[in-house]
Order: sequence, then structure tokens, then C-alpha cells
Amino acid sequence: MNPIVMALRGLYGVWLREITRATRDRAQLIGGISRPLIWLLILGVGLNPYFRGEVYGEVRFVIPYTYLQFLFPAVIVLNIMYTSIQFAVSVIWDREFGFLREVLVSPMPRWLILLGKVLGGATVATLHGALVLILARFADVTLSLEQVALALLLMFILAFGLTSFGVILAARVRSFEGFGVFSNTVILPLYFTSSSIFPLDPALTRAQQAVTYPEWLVFLVQINPITYAVDALRGVLINFNQFAPAMGVGVIVAMAVVFFVVATIDFARQ
Amino acid sequence: MTSPQPGPEAQSLSAIAISVDGLSAAYAGKTVLDNLTLEIRRGSSFALLGPNGAGKTTLLNILSTLRRPDGGSARVAGADVVRQQTEARRSLGVVFQDSSLDDRLTAWENLEFHGLVYGMAPKRRRERSAAVLALVELEDWRDEIVRSFSGGMRRRLEIARALLHEPQILFLDEPTAGLDAQTRVRIWRYLDELRRARDLTVLTTTHYIEEVEGADTICIIDHGKIIAQGSPEALKAQYGSRWLHLTPRDQAALEAIQAARPDAQPLGAHGLALPADDGAMTDAFLATFRDRLVEVRFQDPTLESVFLSLTGRQLRDRADDQHNADKAAGRRGGRR
Repeated sequence: MNPIVMALRGLYGVWLREITRATRDRAQLIGGISRPLIWLLILGVGLNPYFRGEVYGEVRFVIPYTYLQFLFPAVIVLNIMYTSIQFAVSVIWDREFGFLREVLVSPMPRWLILLGKVLGGATVATLHGALVLILARFADVTLSLEQVALALLLMFILAFGLTSFGVILAARVRSFEGFGVFSNTVILPLYFTSSSIFPLDPALTRAQQAVTYPEWLVFLVQINPITYAVDALRGVLINFNQFAPAMGVGVIVAMAVVFFVVATIDFARQ
Repeated sequence: MTSPQPGPEAQSLSAIAISVDGLSAAYAGKTVLDNLTLEIRRGSSFALLGPNGAGKTTLLNILSTLRRPDGGSARVAGADVVRQQTEARRSLGVVFQDSSLDDRLTAWENLEFHGLVYGMAPKRRRERSAAVLALVELEDWRDEIVRSFSGGMRRRLEIARALLHEPQILFLDEPTAGLDAQTRVRIWRYLDELRRARDLTVLTTTHYIEEVEGADTICIIDHGKIIAQGSPEALKAQYGSRWLHLTPRDQAALEAIQAARPDAQPLGAHGLALPADDGAMTDAFLATFRDRLVEVRFQDPTLESVFLSLTGRQLRDRADDQHNADKAAGRRGGRR
């Protein structure tokens, strides 16, 4: 029998299992829906009027986007981050409850098993990100089909990288309880320092950034890879970039490659 | 992939399903397997018997390529477990000590997953899945989520899954621990049928004596070493003792027998037990006392007594064991 066909069947089997499990996990789906609603409806709508270049009644700079529009791509990234990194729980689960051995004694090579799992996790995370896209009209974001396709592609590559990152975390965390704490101390700080809820430069021109925000914060934002992922999605969805457009794509792809390679090395060692 | 034509030597070796040569393993500085060597014939039922911590599971993990040996080598179905892992895994079906089913999937989905991972074509997957489900009598539960299954049903599904890709060799690690006697008997009946029909080799580890009575070969291991190996009968003949249980007609007969045979042990209120390994002596005794006995019965040696005489201890505390198995099942059931 053709070994490539057999390998593809195995890959499909591992992927399908992740998808089936995710569709049966109501809590995850509820999280995927409620999270963007909270961020956009409450935070987005609440802060929308304050997002203006106005200080003491004097207009300092003109901002061409509403806060909801600005926040919208970031909420997609947030949803992907949560789902991807939570994916580590599935890896820990397999390990703790013995299912892992069922695949480890199968003829599938380790890296292929991991690829199937990560593709499955990334698919679920991308779908959770896409749930936010449904709210586009509400956030005053008009999208062409082309924009949606490009955004989905970027979202998937980002989800692939973050899911691999989740696997790397899983290899270092021994318990579910530990992981809960871990994921919150990883996801939220990364999200807040990714220029997701505030622009790096209030004038959106980069002219006054260091003046307006303390240097340490600007530094944190600039070294955070999520910053560039959010920026890439903003470029596609609302046509606004704070950095060179190629930079965002480059960082997303680099994360996917590096994290997957590290995760494979980790996984092979088990 | 093409494999070279087997030479005459390889052909004669193909009667051997598993060969283990000088295998050693250590865990945290403690020797778990100590220079272990054994051979298992194709189509045989081979049982590894030993108390917990004897090294049974470690040996099984090495043979199923989950763990590398620290010394020596092992081959399953002719494939080296370190250098030819993929070939070795392809020929193996493994049932682990703890459940390794995905209990958020249905019985059918678990089988489908297994078939895909072993690269089986869609038609063969469907046929085999239906066949193995029927084998373990779970057809009516094929679309039920495994979480709702009892321990026995899970075990049966797991055995069905291990047989799905028609392996040449089946590993069963404590396969029927925590199962009721009826299910245990039924599972062994399936496996014996398969062994006859398909030349399947079955390697079982257990600490339940009842489970190994039907095996062709029993290998007793303790502290990572083989201490005895042979058929159940051979082991009993070699290491066990036969006893004659008898009830004398009256007190006078009892005293007469005790006088004639000082090695007689009292048994119950009125009975006696005589060592009966020496056939001639036993015959002579019976000829003399036949008319003065109410009841005579031979007690054959049991594997339990064999194990006891070889290791100097009981296999383990049964009640405690059952308790732990229940506790583990309850914990899994609760959290999943």
C-alpha cells in the first residue's frame, strides 16, 4: 500500500478527532462566542466615544478609525490565542488519561501525529476567530470576500503557531490546575501589550509615541510578537498598519515554523 | 517499501513471534529488567506472571517501542524494537493496563480513529470495525459515547480496537483486572478462537492466577528476572506438591493413619492431608487403609502454590487490588 496515502489517512484521523472533540465541548464554544461579545459590546462600545485625538477640547490629531474598528482585529487575535493555547489542555489530557499511548504504538511517526493534532487545534482556533468576523458589520467594518480570505489565511497560520506554542507549554506543565494559572499569566499580558486595546501612538503617526507613552511600555509592545500579528490583521481588515505590512506576515510565519519545530522536538522526546 | 526475500534462516525464525535477548532496563538507578532472555512461538499464548513491580509492564513497554531498553535487544515479528519501530508497531495490537480510549468519542469513532491511524482503506475500516464490534458484542452501542460505558464494556472495546488492524501479535497488559468473572471468561474465549483461526500470538501480563491457567507457556518473573518458565502442567509438576485429602471412618482409623504416616497434616475437624507426590507410597497407603476411609480426594498442585514456593510470597493481596482497581475506575469516570 502507498505509504503516503497511509500517512495522509493517519493525519486526517488525528485531525478529525480534534475537530470532533471540539464540537462536543460546549464550554469551549460558549467561551469562543461570549469573549468577543464582551470585548466588543462592553469594552468596545464603552470606550468608543473616548477614542479621539482631543485633549481639553482641543483637537490634537485626526484619527481615521473608531475604537470599535480599531479593536475588532485584536479581538479576533484574542479569540485565537485563547483557543490555541487552551489546546495544550487536550495534549495534557491525552497524556494523563492514557490516550497518547494509543497513538504512540501506532505506525504513525511522532511528527506526523503532532502535525495532525496541531492542524486540528489550529482549525478550531481559526473557526473561533472567524466567529468574530460575523460581528464585522456591527463594528462598522465592511469586508470584501478577498479581505476575508486573506484574513482567514493569516488567522490559520497564527493559530498554527500558537497551537504549537500550547504544545510546548503542555510539555512543561504537569497538571491541569497548573495550566489554568499558566495560561492566564501568558495570554492576557501578551494581549494587553500587543497594542491591541490602545494604539502604540495615539496620533497614529508614530511621531509622538515615546512622548505619550512611557518607554518601557513601548518597549514591551515592540518586543511582543502578538503586536505584529494584530498589526497584520489590522492591515487586512481595516487597512491600517502601525508597522511595515510585511513585518506582521513575517512574524506570524516565523512563529508557526519555530514553535512547530520546537514542539516536534519536545514531543519526540516523550 | 520492499523487504528482502527471507533466507532459509529467516524462514525458520518466523515460527518465533517475539524474541528477547539479554534485555536490561533500569529506572532511577534501580534494575527493573535484569538480562532477560526469552522466545515466544507464533500462535502461542504466553503469560508473564509476577507481582507488581516485577518488570512486566516495563518489558511490554519496550516490546511495544514505547521505551528503549538500556541493554540487550528484542524483536517482534522479526522487527527490531529500536531500529525498525514502524515495522514492529505495524504487527502489534496493544491493550494497555489503563484505558486508552477517547471517551468523548463513540465506540465507532474510536475504531474509525484507530483504522485511520493504521492507514486502513475506508472499505476495510468499515468491515473490520463491524466485525470486531460483533466479536465483543458491542454492536448495539456503536454510536454511544464511550464515557457512558461500564468498565467491562470499555475493556471489550479496547480489545476489539487492538484487533482491528489484524495484528500478528497481541499484547494484553493486565487485560481483565477489575472485570467480573463472566466477562473475563468471555474475553478469553474470543482470544483463544482467534489464536486458532489466525495464528495470533497473545502475550499477557497478569497477577491473576486464573487468567494464566489457559496459557501455553507461563513465565514467572520477579525482580526483573525469569524464575521459572513452562506449561502450567510442567510448572505444577516441577514446583508444586500434590496432596491426598482424606476423611477416616472413625477416631481409631484416624489414630492408626497418624501412626503409620507421621507426615500427615490435620485437615478440618476430622480430616487429614497427606503429601502424595510419591505415587508408589500413596498406592501402598490406599491399599492398606482403603476400608477405613469415608472420603478420599487428590488435591492437585495449583499455580498459586507454585508461585508461593518459587517466590516465597503470595502474588498480592486480592482485596486490596480490587479496591485499587475500583478506585482508579471511579476516578477516571468522575473526571472525564
